[in-house]
Amino acid sequence: MIHDIWTVVWKEWQEFRDQLLSLRRGGLSALILALILGVVAPVQLGAEWVESRLIIGYWPFLAATMVSSLIADSVAGERERHTLETLLASRLSDSAILIGKIIAAVMYGVGFAVANLAIGLIAVNVAHGENGLILFAPQRFMVTIVFTILASLLMAGIGVFISLRASTVKQAQQAFGIAIIVLTMGPLLLFNALSYETRTAFIARLGRVGETRIEAYVVAGLFVLSAIVIAGALARFKRGKLVFD
Amino acid sequence: MPNGPELAIRAEHVTRDFGPVRALDALSLEIPKGIVFGFLGPNGAGKTTAIRVLLGLIDPSAGHAEVLGLDTRRDGSAIRTRCGALLEHPGLYERLSAYDNLDFYGRAWRIPRGDRQERIRELLTRFGLWERREDPVGRWSRGMKQKLAVARAVLHRPALVFLDEPTSGLDPVATAGLREDLAALAAQEGVTVFLTTHNLNEAERLCAQVGVIRGGKLLAVGSPEQLRARGDSGRVDILTTGITEELVRHLAGLPDVRTATASGDHLAVSLSNGASVAPIVAWLVQHEVGVEEVRKVRATLEDAFLDLMGAETTNGEAAGGTT
Ligand SMILES: Nc1ncnc2c1ncn2[C@@H]1O[C@H](COP(=O)(O)OP(=O)(O)OP(=O)(O)O)[C@@H](O)[C@H]1O
Ligand SMILES: [Mg+2]
Repeated sequence: MIHDIWTVVWKEWQEFRDQLLSLRRGGLSALILALILGVVAPVQLGAEWVESRLIIGYWPFLAATMVSSLIADSVAGERERHTLETLLASRLSDSAILIGKIIAAVMYGVGFAVANLAIGLIAVNVAHGENGLILFAPQRFMVTIVFTILASLLMAGIGVFISLRASTVKQAQQAFGIAIIVLTMGPLLLFNALSYETRTAFIARLGRVGETRIEAYVVAGLFVLSAIVIAGALARFKRGKLVFD
Repeated sequence: MPNGPELAIRAEHVTRDFGPVRALDALSLEIPKGIVFGFLGPNGAGKTTAIRVLLGLIDPSAGHAEVLGLDTRRDGSAIRTRCGALLEHPGLYERLSAYDNLDFYGRAWRIPRGDRQERIRELLTRFGLWERREDPVGRWSRGMKQKLAVARAVLHRPALVFLDEPTSGLDPVATAGLREDLAALAAQEGVTVFLTTHNLNEAERLCAQVGVIRGGKLLAVGSPEQLRARGDSGRVDILTTGITEELVRHLAGLPDVRTATASGDHLAVSLSNGASVAPIVAWLVQHEVGVEEVRKVRATLEDAFLDLMGAETTNGEAAGGTT
């Protein structure tokens, strides 16, 4: 099983590499954009860049967005390009194929976010490091990484469902755009819809709970959610249920 | 009779519906090991669906099938491990090189690294693709892709290969080459080949047995000779003197005459099923046409096939069950 999963990961990476480096598909421009953001933002923000709370959300967002585009390509794309049926006719099991695809996308997305983070760290130190090294607080760093991995897993799981419903990569990516907006803006809008009293009470409550605890809750929540979504995706991704046309 | 080891495929009343469409209709089939079997039938006959059922990719709605002694419903994974397949689409990763395409499937079948490299080299060389192995497959011609897909199907030396229209897109030289390769595979390595094709000439030359399917029903099965013998070509060549265009037109209008064409003194007449040529000759003589020679044209597999198709059509299209 592990061997089979790894075989699928290997194949996906060969394809991702091509997708990323292909100018035509806009892959390279996305890469350049992310690198510029990874350099410009830290240089402008300075120490704030490693201390700001908001920035915690940046890498998970970056990785999840990347994963969404990779999963669309690897699930909806494999179908659109008529390679899925041949793959399913091989000796690889459904779950080895799907887990391989998810791991490949998540590792790629997380790897990309971590590279981005490392570049940012170098940039911020080159630009503002005159008074000693600027580093993340260890806990903040760990939490960011864990968030990034979980957000990517969740996105990959959701992506499988979206991609199986879409008949083309384009359709899948459009659906993803909506999903990302709903996932990021949804909670904010919901929060704003609450009455002023409820909101202040909620914030006061959060303050009492403490940052570490909140982070732990979010991690647990994301973990459970992505486990459910991925289990669902595994149940959905079965030869007999995939109709070929 | 229990499924002896000599049977590669055994299907019993396999039916498969897609909503209102009955793609396979009580299909029963027994295919011995080590032969090339050709599955013939018009578009939408159910050939691809049959392959999908046999590989356990979809379940039959009713009936039961065994491949290499394994149940398609229960042991799909074991079947796929022992089989190779070229399905409706070549299924190649166009962004990967030809080599990497084969390498991936070689890994999937867990062929050890050294053997894998050797086997890939052997197959690419045999198909004349070795020089272009580093090209992304997307830049290849259709026929080259088709050859690569066949190479992929036999890469892991499966006991049984399914090939859905393997020669589509191949030039005549490549077709002949593939035919030889498949024949050699069956003869030397004991591989059973199950292929579908629209090329009757090819089926006749290559297949030890053919099955004819239409509307999901098996109409006939046997060796090409057996099928040919069943099919009366219904065609006669008549060497005449003094045939005119007008007479040919008249002749074509006679009962039992399907078509009649003349080029010079050669008259080619196609008769409907079982009709005798004698009344035609009498009619010609009566119209003062000299009849020098009458020769029945030997039936080809194509005639037998068209015969079967024709019989089905006249028996009513409704039997087909396709849209
Ligand atoms: N996934 C599907 N959903 C709905 N109908 C299907 C599906 N697959 C096949 N069919 C129907 O089943 C019938 C048989 O199709 P199949 O693809 O097996 O034919 P075929 O013999 O392979 O034809 P061709 O020579 O054109 O490849 C057709 O009427 C087709 O429309
Ligand atoms: Mg077909």
